[in-house]
Amino acid sequence: MSYAYLFKYIIIGDTGVGKSCLLLQFTDKRFQPVHDLTIGVEFGARMITIDGKQIKLQIWDTAGQEAFRSITRSYYRGAAGALLVYDITRRETFNHLTTWLDDARQHSNSNMVIMLIGNKSDLESRREVKKEEGEAFAREHGLVFMETSAKTAANVEEAFINTAKEIYEKIQEGVFDINNEANGIKIGPQHSPTNPSLPGAGGAGGSQGSSCC
Amino acid sequence: MGDVLMECMEIFSQDGVQLKSAQATYVNYLNLVGTLYITEYANSNCKRCLEWKPNDVTVDSDVQDQEWAVVNTVQKRSRTFSESQPPDASTRPKFLKVNFNDIKSFKISNKNRQLTIFDGKSEVTCCFIFQHGDCDYLLSLMRGLLKTVSAKRDKHLYIVIHGDDPETAQLDKSFAELNIFQDSSHPSWWKLVKNFQERPYETTFETFSRVTDFVYRSPDQRDIDDDQRELLHRSLTEYASTHCQGDYEVIAKVPELPERKDYPRGRPLSTEQWKNLQNHEGKLEDVDQIKLMIFRGGVAPNLRYEVWKYLLDYFPWDSTQVERQKLLCEKNDEYYNMKLQWKRMTRVQEDNFSDFRERKNLIEKDVNRTDRTLDFYAGDNNPNLQLLYDILMTYVMYNFDLGYVQGMSDLLSPILHLLKNEVDAFWCFVGFMNKINSNFDIDQAGMKEQLQNLHTILGFIEPQLVNYLDKHDSGNMFFCFRWLLVWFKRELSFEDVMRLWEVLWSGLPCDNFHLLVCVAILETEKQALMENNYGFTEILKHINDLCGKLDVPAILVKAEGIFHQIKEAEHLTDNIRVILGLPLVGTQPSPEEVISISPDSPDEDPYEQVYNTMQHIIT
Ligand SMILES: Nc1nc2c(ncn2[C@@H]2O[C@H](COP(=O)(O)OP(=O)(O)OP(=O)(O)O)[C@@H](O)[C@H]2O)c(=O)[nH]1
Ligand SMILES: [Mg+2]
Repeated sequence: MSYAYLFKYIIIGDTGVGKSCLLLQFTDKRFQPVHDLTIGVEFGARMITIDGKQIKLQIWDTAGQEAFRSITRSYYRGAAGALLVYDITRRETFNHLTTWLDDARQHSNSNMVIMLIGNKSDLESRREVKKEEGEAFAREHGLVFMETSAKTAANVEEAFINTAKEIYEKIQEGVFDINNEANGIKIGPQHSPTNPSLPGAGGAGGSQGSSCC
Repeated sequence: MGDVLMECMEIFSQDGVQLKSAQATYVNYLNLVGTLYITEYANSNCKRCLEWKPNDVTVDSDVQDQEWAVVNTVQKRSRTFSESQPPDASTRPKFLKVNFNDIKSFKISNKNRQLTIFDGKSEVTCCFIFQHGDCDYLLSLMRGLLKTVSAKRDKHLYIVIHGDDPETAQLDKSFAELNIFQDSSHPSWWKLVKNFQERPYETTFETFSRVTDFVYRSPDQRDIDDDQRELLHRSLTEYASTHCQGDYEVIAKVPELPERKDYPRGRPLSTEQWKNLQNHEGKLEDVDQIKLMIFRGGVAPNLRYEVWKYLLDYFPWDSTQVERQKLLCEKNDEYYNMKLQWKRMTRVQEDNFSDFRERKNLIEKDVNRTDRTLDFYAGDNNPNLQLLYDILMTYVMYNFDLGYVQGMSDLLSPILHLLKNEVDAFWCFVGFMNKINSNFDIDQAGMKEQLQNLHTILGFIEPQLVNYLDKHDSGNMFFCFRWLLVWFKRELSFEDVMRLWEVLWSGLPCDNFHLLVCVAILETEKQALMENNYGFTEILKHINDLCGKLDVPAILVKAEGIFHQIKEAEHLTDNIRVILGLPLVGTQPSPEEVISISPDSPDEDPYEQVYNTMQHIIT
């Protein structure tokens, strides 16, 4: 399917916080808790529409375990957006956010939009990290924040789409050099690189699922 | 040797250092243990040297004169310890000596226990193993005495910058920073620098094209400064104008591999064959033959239950029925002892033992995310999940240093699925882990070494592809990470995983055969990768997407063919021999001096031995 832009996303955060579940919920609209743990990296993709333009999100779901960090880091670069995920029912996943953030900032481009996500919001009774704490962390580090549930799908669409909107705005503001693929943005095949403001093919509203990549 | 110290100063010495490889002249000293020194000479222009002296060796004088002939062409042979000894030639100790000025680069490997020196003229100038501890201290000394930079691609490779000739230094440095060559081939880059003008045809076209590509195609993408670029450019244009006649004339100089042959797969080892190969005590008669049959065709599914216990070193290959019964009892007790250790841990103990708690939490999470789509592990409260959990927890107690790392549950799952018995599965899992525990090093050193080795071998078979990968940010081979970590467990069907694993467990036809399996697959994908002009992302994605599309028998046929090509290649180098566990020949043989050291024991290569006699049985 043709698209106006392609954005590369990465999903990072401790093992077991629900990164793969979030991706699956976003691309396939289902929750599969028995999904295999991630080794290395896995890919997902979906088409969304912003401002009447088709935008393809290419999402890299990385492995969270510490031991794999030196390998998974190499996947950060050239990402336009990142979802940094912690699990609201496990405090230590929140405590590790600074390490993740440092790592991400160091290994990717400085304009990357980072969305902080407190996942498993459906497990209110087991909550260990207050929503206010997530908000405070986000404010302090200049991130957008949201609590989600990969299980109920609450806020999952919003998390991915709001990140895309921010990237899109940055493009409009000229912050991103869209002719440089290292920024994680690619112009669709039918668009001339010298005239990126051409309208996208078909202004069909609403987003549609697609697992092609 | 007090007087020796007056002649020259000994800056460093360490005993228990084994000579692993060296110039052909030293072939008799290979594998001997001795002492390594750094020495400094007061009145000589050869100032500092690295010297190695074997323990208690007397020397035949004819070798003496050739000593470091290659290295010391520039200067007269410098003083050695021996010259301060009584002039009795027959008792003079033999030294191996490398002038610091001739060291082009050196590399630390094998958990800092191995030092390899390159002079840029030969494949490996010499290589030492430190049997008592590591060479960290020596490394810090050498880095103090020599000006070095770490190679970008391999931080354990130190490139020496010699300050005497500013232009060479500059050129050397720019090459080092460009880092267009893998360290495996890096001696040829020094050769390239040195011999650019004099002996251009000895630098292969392959090598040259990498330089030109680098300089002409992508100079703006690299952070080399203009001076260096200019310098390189000048060397290359001079080279081009003096030496380029026909455009591709030099291609013929690239050594060719022997022809690829097909080694058709055999039939799986059958129950009948297995029974026939046991004597009345239940002891296997011809283990090499059995291993070869397994390598060639795998094991019949109904026989796996028994044979895997041998393949995974739970049952000794030469055990009798009675011995195995005894072993089973012992191993049963041992297992439950270890299991009790963590079962009995109190809440307080656990609270005070964070390493243990972390592992426990991780295992809890991961058993719920391992092969849950298989019936055997499906559904909530499935008792097999508890088995998976108990075995992994007991393994933590068995090998706390390693503990639990993700990927291990993937390795255990098929074993437990097949054996369906907690104790047997545990011990077989232990056997598997013993074979590949370096995959789970906390710093991933083992994985990185394998990826590097894969790059080296692929470069030997498919230089064009490796060149392509290097240029497309994929030279670190990270896209093969999952393949190697869990031996293709995520890429294949359950049945194929079992077949591939048992073939690999046979240990034939060489060490690290799984790397040749990777090479076989990559070779098959070469066209797709290159013709579509895939970059970093697409390469990774293409390889990830091979999941479910791999044809195991065809890959094994190819991998075995590749093995024979490598083994028979005339230009085979020692670094590849080391990776595959093939006998070393000391140095790269030139036509006049082919030295081969035959394996000490003939059963080191059962594959070779039994191969011919087996042909009729298999087909
Ligand atoms: N209740 C609830 N459970 C969730 C949610 N998201 C994930 N989970 C559970 O958490 C487990 C781990 O989720 P994954 O998506 O596999 O975690 P991951 O972050 O991808 O972990 P790694 O691949 O190891 O890095 C899953 O098996 C689910 O059972 C959620 O939103 N709500
Ligand atoms: Mg995951």
